[in-house]
Amino acid sequence: MLVYAARRILGMVVVLFAMSAVVFAAIHLLPGSVAHMVLGEYATAEAVAALELKLGLRDPILVQYWRWLSGVLRGEFGQALSIDQPVARLIGGALERSAALGGMSLLLVAIMGIALGIHSAVHRGSLSDRVLTMMQYTLIAIPEFFWCTVAIIVFAVWLGWLPATGYTPLADAGLLQWLRHLILPVVCLSLGLTAHVSRMVRSSMLEAIESRYVLAARAKGVPERLVLLRHALPNAMLPAITVLAIDAGILIGGIVVAETVFSFPGLGSLLMYAIQNHDIPLLQAGMLVVTAVYSLATLAADLASAMLNPRIRLGAAH
Amino acid sequence: MTAVAQKRRRRHVPLILVAGAAIVVVMVLLGLIGPWIAPYDPTMFAVRSRMQPPSGLHWFGTDEFGRDVLSRILAGGYYSLAMGFGATAISLVIGVPLGLIAAFYRGWVDDVIMRIIDLMISLPPILVGLLILAVTSPGLGKTIVAVGLVYVPIMTRLTRSVALSVLAQDFIEAAAARREKTVYILWREVLPNVWPTIIVEASLRITFAILLGSALSFLGLGPQPPASEWGLMIAESRPFLDRAPWIGLAPGLCLCVLLVAVNFVGEGLRDLLDPRMQGRGHG
Amino acid sequence: MADALLDIQGLSLRYATANGSVTALDDVSLAIPRGGAMGLVGESGSGKSSMLLAMLGLLGKGAAVTADAARFDGQDLLKVAASLRGRRIGTVFQDPSAALNPALTIGVQVAEPLTLHRGMNWREAMERAEGLLAETGIHDPAAVLKAYPHQLSGGMKQRAVIAQALGCEPDLLLLDEPTTALDVTVEAQILDLLDALRARRGISLLLVSHNLGIVDRICDDLTVLYAGRVVEQGPCARVLAGPRHPYARGLMAAMPVISHAKQRLTSIEGNLPDLTVVDPGCNFAPRCPFAVPSCAEPQALAGEGDHRVRCHRAAQTATLPWPEQKNEAPASTEATPERRPLLEARGMSRRFAGHGGLWRSLDWRGGWPKLAPRKSVVAVDDVTIEVRSGEVLGLVGESGSGKSTLGRLLLRLVPADAGQLEFGGTEVPLRPSSAFCQQAQIIFQNPDSALNPHHTVQEVLKRPLELFGIAKGAAVGAEIDRLLDLVRLPRSYRTRYPHQMSGGEKQRIGIARALAGRPRFVVCDEAVSALDVSVQAAVLNLLSDLRAQFGLSYLFISHDIGVIAHISDRIAVMYRGAIVQQGEAAQVLRGPHHPYTASLLSAVPVVGSARSQADNRIRLAENPMAAPGEKGCSFASRCPQQLGNLCRTQVPAQRRLSNGVMMACHLPDAQLETVALGLS
Repeated sequence: MLVYAARRILGMVVVLFAMSAVVFAAIHLLPGSVAHMVLGEYATAEAVAALELKLGLRDPILVQYWRWLSGVLRGEFGQALSIDQPVARLIGGALERSAALGGMSLLLVAIMGIALGIHSAVHRGSLSDRVLTMMQYTLIAIPEFFWCTVAIIVFAVWLGWLPATGYTPLADAGLLQWLRHLILPVVCLSLGLTAHVSRMVRSSMLEAIESRYVLAARAKGVPERLVLLRHALPNAMLPAITVLAIDAGILIGGIVVAETVFSFPGLGSLLMYAIQNHDIPLLQAGMLVVTAVYSLATLAADLASAMLNPRIRLGAAH
Repeated sequence: MTAVAQKRRRRHVPLILVAGAAIVVVMVLLGLIGPWIAPYDPTMFAVRSRMQPPSGLHWFGTDEFGRDVLSRILAGGYYSLAMGFGATAISLVIGVPLGLIAAFYRGWVDDVIMRIIDLMISLPPILVGLLILAVTSPGLGKTIVAVGLVYVPIMTRLTRSVALSVLAQDFIEAAAARREKTVYILWREVLPNVWPTIIVEASLRITFAILLGSALSFLGLGPQPPASEWGLMIAESRPFLDRAPWIGLAPGLCLCVLLVAVNFVGEGLRDLLDPRMQGRGHG
Repeated sequence: MADALLDIQGLSLRYATANGSVTALDDVSLAIPRGGAMGLVGESGSGKSSMLLAMLGLLGKGAAVTADAARFDGQDLLKVAASLRGRRIGTVFQDPSAALNPALTIGVQVAEPLTLHRGMNWREAMERAEGLLAETGIHDPAAVLKAYPHQLSGGMKQRAVIAQALGCEPDLLLLDEPTTALDVTVEAQILDLLDALRARRGISLLLVSHNLGIVDRICDDLTVLYAGRVVEQGPCARVLAGPRHPYARGLMAAMPVISHAKQRLTSIEGNLPDLTVVDPGCNFAPRCPFAVPSCAEPQALAGEGDHRVRCHRAAQTATLPWPEQKNEAPASTEATPERRPLLEARGMSRRFAGHGGLWRSLDWRGGWPKLAPRKSVVAVDDVTIEVRSGEVLGLVGESGSGKSTLGRLLLRLVPADAGQLEFGGTEVPLRPSSAFCQQAQIIFQNPDSALNPHHTVQEVLKRPLELFGIAKGAAVGAEIDRLLDLVRLPRSYRTRYPHQMSGGEKQRIGIARALAGRPRFVVCDEAVSALDVSVQAAVLNLLSDLRAQFGLSYLFISHDIGVIAHISDRIAVMYRGAIVQQGEAAQVLRGPHHPYTASLLSAVPVVGSARSQADNRIRLAENPMAAPGEKGCSFASRCPQQLGNLCRTQVPAQRRLSNGVMMACHLPDAQLETVALGLS
């Protein structure tokens, strides 16, 4: 298990290094000079030259990369171009708020998705299973930004129950106010993913229920509730965890969209801001941080399924 | 195999497949001929009829510039379809051959291809799109390419895993025992067995491609105004949600209908073609 | 039966499918006395496994079970089955790897019924589980208790499954093909265990199997099922000594038996009937060589005493010989196989690298990655073998012995690490010519996997014809017809897809494909192992006929020594990558035997002598999973005659015995003679 974990963590580090190079290369090697991107298409040649000199853009690309990477390794992401603030501080605050949003959504998705998936599998073919299946088929396909738009119209504009936009820190406004800003985005983000997760859990649970070992458990006289909980569920959870990790990636996309709609000051909004304002240092750092967060989620999922799977945890015997 | 199993089974075509396919066909037709049957010029400003609610004249109302929302929707359906089908086609064209090659050659070829794929997968899907569209000027073509690239790893992995199981079968060894050429083995022996799975995945992938493409458009990284891409239309309607919700709701609902219908087709095809359900003779 | 523990009368099972209602079991009756053992025998599709599930009440929703009476110890079984499962009726399913939950430890799985039905707490239950594992012959029960299924060998897993079925001291043990997934030497150990349990605990058994030898070894009574109906029932010894229903007779005569190795096998033509249509008469009549019009009348299970047969003509047909099969091969040239070697392999070796690429080959022990040499598994180790023109060389060994790899090495389908290969007197390079491929072909085990599901028979056969330049244009059609004639399939099969054919038919197409290029040498890799006995007989006969007709040479690979004995001129015995013994078939079977060959031969339960044979069985040394030493004899760790240091440290050289048999064993000749069997 330790060997496996060590291997996976080392793999993640390798991936992050590779991603830092890809992000950097994409921004610096693709057509269009960085200085033009920052200053706009109609900048004067002098202005471009001055900026390139200031940002060290005339150095060889590898030198630039090393300068950036060594900074990142020391925890220094530099100064944002469009606002006079250190990138690290901007990202730190945004990450915290996005993490609250993403964490709550993922938790909701996991609980609801797994519960509904198990329910559907156990009651396969029943009315509730068929209704849930149709809902899953439908909800998977509806984009978050549609839900966000509808939610604002209904709950903020028409009913006026919840705020349409913004964010209040937990420390300032208290739990209730903090939650009021989070409810709509969290629910909007969770609908599609819950459908997806419950669908996957249903099929892996069905596979477990139809397996020989479940038949064998029934032949041992194990009561049906224990057959499901003790014999089928642990095996059905393995694929569910993998699906949750994949959905964490989709969730990140949803967060970018939802933060934009709800004007939520998180990492997604910050990334969009960096793109719109051509703030290269901010963009590079933001992308790297998002990738790192996603890698960590994948790593956590891998380790969790390794814990659940004796084949990986103990290694094959022969 | 018993005599029962020898009768060719007539598979039951799922209802959702029929319903979904019917809607998709209608929406594709509307998307293709939409610009010509639109009641108004979708780009024509009419300051005097700004933000009019739905009526007999303007079924879906008008937007903040007085443009007819229905006409804009009809003119913009094409974008979603192009993103869905185009991006899926790109992921197929790149992903399927890569998967086949990795599965067939194994060894270092497999290692190299799959490590690159792992790397691509370790980036959350939206970041690939953001990265590409942040550094180039946005547009329909680039959105399609970005979304297509996002789904290449999925196609490669799927093709590889199905191809590996096909390649482990004895009829492949029988072909090797005849010294068949690689191209023959991949094209005639492997591909026909891989297709059903790929078609199902591709049809499901179209839904996600439209989803991601319209999300990127919504973020302003797709087709640029005055294009009436539906995601973009929703984004542009946001300042007027309180006064004129129909500007955003109408394209939103159209997008949902299209996506749900496409997804129904995909799920229906899966029910129909699921490789696990395919009739292989057993005792 | 008055004192019967289990008494089932007229049980029927129907379930709904897309094609209509299937009658899987029709009026099945059987009774087991306390302490008795009943064998339920039939081929696939006979409904024998459904019978167990019907008794347990574990069939899915769509299944309708009815019975005139179903009594278990006086209770109505169909009503109370749920309360008997795991308490008074224990069950052992076929494949222990599938029947054990991969996510739970063996201990939890064995102890679970005790906690549920005996009210024990987990600690008591675990202690009891340890005792149960010990009782089933597991040597380190405390360790196995904590192990997960994937850490155990197949035989150990099946012992654990039996232990969990025994926990609540059931009166009846249901066994569904309990040894089918196991090697024959392990199978023999499990059968010993079942026998011992019966004697010790007085437990009743219902054993479902396709293998008559196993049933004869374990059971008192026998029920033969055909397509959901009991066709013959009675005491094991009497039924097997003189089967009276034509189906049971055919089944017996279809089994290859070591003692009558060269007898032509009986095969039963045709396929199982369509179970969606209930045939009021005898449902075997369409395949029966003795059928007459009156067979369409309903038949009753009748007979004197306890030996009952569902055939109104049983008395008349019992004395009739089984009619000769049609399509007999033309004049046989079998009598004089040429002695000239066709294929010679010297020093063939093949290792397989461990899993994973460079990444996995990093060694993490000691906390810091080191590049370690990859672990590799020896599949074939320095094998020298020859196949002569027109002869069948049988290659026998258990799973993982490397026999399939050796077959592929001889065809150059797997590149050899070392060794030379000569075919027809010329060296075959690692990348052989098309001419070699045309002459050396292969037939596979699994008919489902051997044919591409998307190609018609015509497409399958056309390809090699064109590739090897056998026929072009219009001649192709004629050649395909000729091939279909050869394998005795109707010409109309040209347009069929694999899923439109039965397993035996698919296997014939596989044979036709191998023969299309008119080869001289064919590797038959477990070519009949996936087939039912009656179909297996037909395919074996076909292979014999084709070999006689064309003077083919076969390398016939099988784990089944009965099949090997039936078809082979010479036999090679393989153990862990090495040939331990090879020679003329009769000599190898008669002895002296290599200790491994002896254990293999003694492990096969043979109908008629299974009991007595079990008493004389050669038992392998304990701890069969002990890793073989890098040096020394690969069989040393299991060998009952092991000589100690010599066997463990030196690889025995091949030497020729006085009867011409090659033997790789350190035992002196005189001692080899004592590795006796009582089989001749």
